[in-house]
Amino acid sequence: MGMSAKAAERRALHGTGRRYWKKLGSEIKRDKWLYLLLLPGLIYFLVFKYLPMFGIVIAFEDYVPVAGVLGSDWVGFKWFESFFSFPSWTRYLTNTLILSLMNIVFYFPAPIILALLLNEMRSLRYKKVLQTMLYVPHFISIVIVVSVTFVMFGSSGLIYKLTENLLGYSINYMGSPVTFRWMIIGQTIWKETGWGTIIFLAALTNVDTQLYEAAMVDGANRLHRLWHITLPAIRSTIVLMLILRMGSVLDTGYDHLILMSNPLNRQVSQTLDVFVYQQGIQGGQFSYASAIGLMKSIVSVTMVLSTNKIAHLMGEQGLY
Amino acid sequence: MKKLLALVLALVLSLGAVSFAAADEPFEITVMLPQFPTTNDFDPNNNPVLDKIEELSGVRLKITWAPNSEYETLFNSMLADKNPPMVVVAQDARAATVLTSARKGAFWDLTDFIADAENYPYLAQGNAGIYNNISIDGRVYGIFRTRDFPRGGAYYRVDIAKEMGFDKEVTTIDDLTELAEKLNAYSPDTYALNMCEYVEGTVMYITILFGAPNTWGIDADGNVFPAHQSPAYLEGLNWLRNLYQNKGIDPNFITAPSGSWNDAERNDKAFMRFDCLDNTHRQQEWFEQNKGTTDIIWKAIGPVAKADGTITQWAQNPGFSGEVLINKKTSSRNGVSEEDLPKVVKFLDWCNGPEGQLLLNGGLENLTYKVDADGFRSNEGLEEANDKYVANLNQLNMGVAGDLAKPGVKRTALRLRYYDLLAELTPYAVSNPCYPFDSQTYVNYGKQLQTLLNDAAANYIAGNIDEAGLRAMWDQWSEEGGARMTQEYNDAYHAAQQ
Repeated sequence: MGMSAKAAERRALHGTGRRYWKKLGSEIKRDKWLYLLLLPGLIYFLVFKYLPMFGIVIAFEDYVPVAGVLGSDWVGFKWFESFFSFPSWTRYLTNTLILSLMNIVFYFPAPIILALLLNEMRSLRYKKVLQTMLYVPHFISIVIVVSVTFVMFGSSGLIYKLTENLLGYSINYMGSPVTFRWMIIGQTIWKETGWGTIIFLAALTNVDTQLYEAAMVDGANRLHRLWHITLPAIRSTIVLMLILRMGSVLDTGYDHLILMSNPLNRQVSQTLDVFVYQQGIQGGQFSYASAIGLMKSIVSVTMVLSTNKIAHLMGEQGLY
Repeated sequence: MKKLLALVLALVLSLGAVSFAAADEPFEITVMLPQFPTTNDFDPNNNPVLDKIEELSGVRLKITWAPNSEYETLFNSMLADKNPPMVVVAQDARAATVLTSARKGAFWDLTDFIADAENYPYLAQGNAGIYNNISIDGRVYGIFRTRDFPRGGAYYRVDIAKEMGFDKEVTTIDDLTELAEKLNAYSPDTYALNMCEYVEGTVMYITILFGAPNTWGIDADGNVFPAHQSPAYLEGLNWLRNLYQNKGIDPNFITAPSGSWNDAERNDKAFMRFDCLDNTHRQQEWFEQNKGTTDIIWKAIGPVAKADGTITQWAQNPGFSGEVLINKKTSSRNGVSEEDLPKVVKFLDWCNGPEGQLLLNGGLENLTYKVDADGFRSNEGLEEANDKYVANLNQLNMGVAGDLAKPGVKRTALRLRYYDLLAELTPYAVSNPCYPFDSQTYVNYGKQLQTLLNDAAANYIAGNIDEAGLRAMWDQWSEEGGARMTQEYNDAYHAAQQ
């Protein structure tokens, strides 16, 4: 019953059959410039996001590049089976989840806090200069970030020597399973926090300044205003970003981790993305890598849908 | 209208004639070769060496350099390329991707060509045993690149050793230990042994010296077992671990990149290395050219006996290193067509002859090498021109019929000793008995498993884990596929024995 009611509603709104298409045609004609504006984005998604999706069939094949997608042997779920019968797949998954969780707990709030701090800045000029400086690290290649880290935290580095002299013993920052994750999170925070503020700062500009004035009249101090006006105003943006972040809970990237990994920390640096890189690019096993990639995507979609649902249940607007 | 048509037709025909004339132009062969750091200056256009190759063989080489450190990755993406180079070097002839792609028809089957001594005289002279080693399901797809056998070994700074009171030949493991101790005592700022993140070679050399097999061993019952299960393997690791504890190895060797392995030796920071023997004369020549050294300061170590008097030495390679493959043209990708194939094979044959070898290894006289009074060639003083015109063209050198280039390379006293040493070491050389065999687990997880063994060794040497920790990592190796891989090699080995 509910279904047909919904369908009836849709019909009333858009019409049916030829009428629907006719209406759509006239709408496109009316807003042709807007649709033209949409076109590049649409083409981009079609060409770079939708077309490549057909490539996932190789996850079910024993793909050999020379034989092509059509000429390779069909193997069904072989690669999925081999991954789950690979004894250390849990290690790869655990490493991925721990790193992701640390990322959400420690990195995710960082741009929000920084954006709030920037928002409280009085001198507009100083704020602009500061913002520009904060964006710079985003454009520095991760290779350079890792090299600089080596120089600072390596055995002859400033920080290494400093902590050695202060503590009386040396900490092997670059080659220890304990420090590895913290170094990764630290580098991410240093590199991406500034860039991450952009979206929150944009949300903050929408806050009605009258609210602040009214609150001030009512005797609210800065903290009260922050808590009762600013944060609620950007709450939906935060929730949106969190939902998107949950979608990439299995993504850790591989370049950063591979650059930072060495025999001393390999046991904690191997994540699913690193596995995909090892199998696919280094080992030339494109099918195996695709299968893991597909699995990750399925988890991602599930995560986005379920967190979105939770957001709805909690009265938030969510993603859609 | 008709006139116009005639005009157009005439134009088209004359264009056709032009393109027919172009058929006289040299046959272009695209090649992908590994690039080592020295080749950044290579000049592909105004290059007299490439011109000479074109003049003599009728082939214009167009080279794609692929950085050596990323070669494997680039090789794999080359396989998926619609326009792959016609000729490509595979650094590992038994790599999983080479096997599967060859079986699916990525490369031309050269079996009949190498048997045709009339048309391809040099290729036909290649060692049949090695051709068999690189064959896939009985067919030969590549031309192997000959390398000095067994090549693996140790060398040290003989001047420092003398200064520290070590003035004898190293003939036993005890001598080697004494040498390491003496070199280590030189200064607190220097190290006896030069090691880097690439621990595999160093570990192989020392463990095989103690009697461990090379990667895989065959036990008394004729079964395959992994090298680390041999007690000698642990003895070898202990030797390194002791040296490390006595501060004879750089404490940060694990994070030292393999690309700058030479640095510690060239900066007088470390005085011994377990690697390839030919590096001995390379280091000597570098010191002569860059530091004005006149004495012989680098010396290679010959056969080293165990306590019981027996000798086992590491064979760094199976007599060759990688192979040269020809990409096959199929409906879905470019490559060498069946009609062009003989031309390409003929060119590879030419590369194995005296003319080709001289150009690929030495270049041109007075441009990239000089001939001395004794009739030997040397590139001394012409390094810049060498980097510009020859660079790593020698990566295409196969030499299946031996080194035929005349004039030959100048053989300094050290180089002569190198060849003597190779002959001396050959009877004791230990090779990997499972080299010709396949294993599905190796295909799927071989890389990770080898990394795990290397990591275990590195961590044990550096004292991060004790023997129990080492054994735990070995157990992990077995669990993660090592046991299955052993079984697969065992089956393949037994199948081949019958």
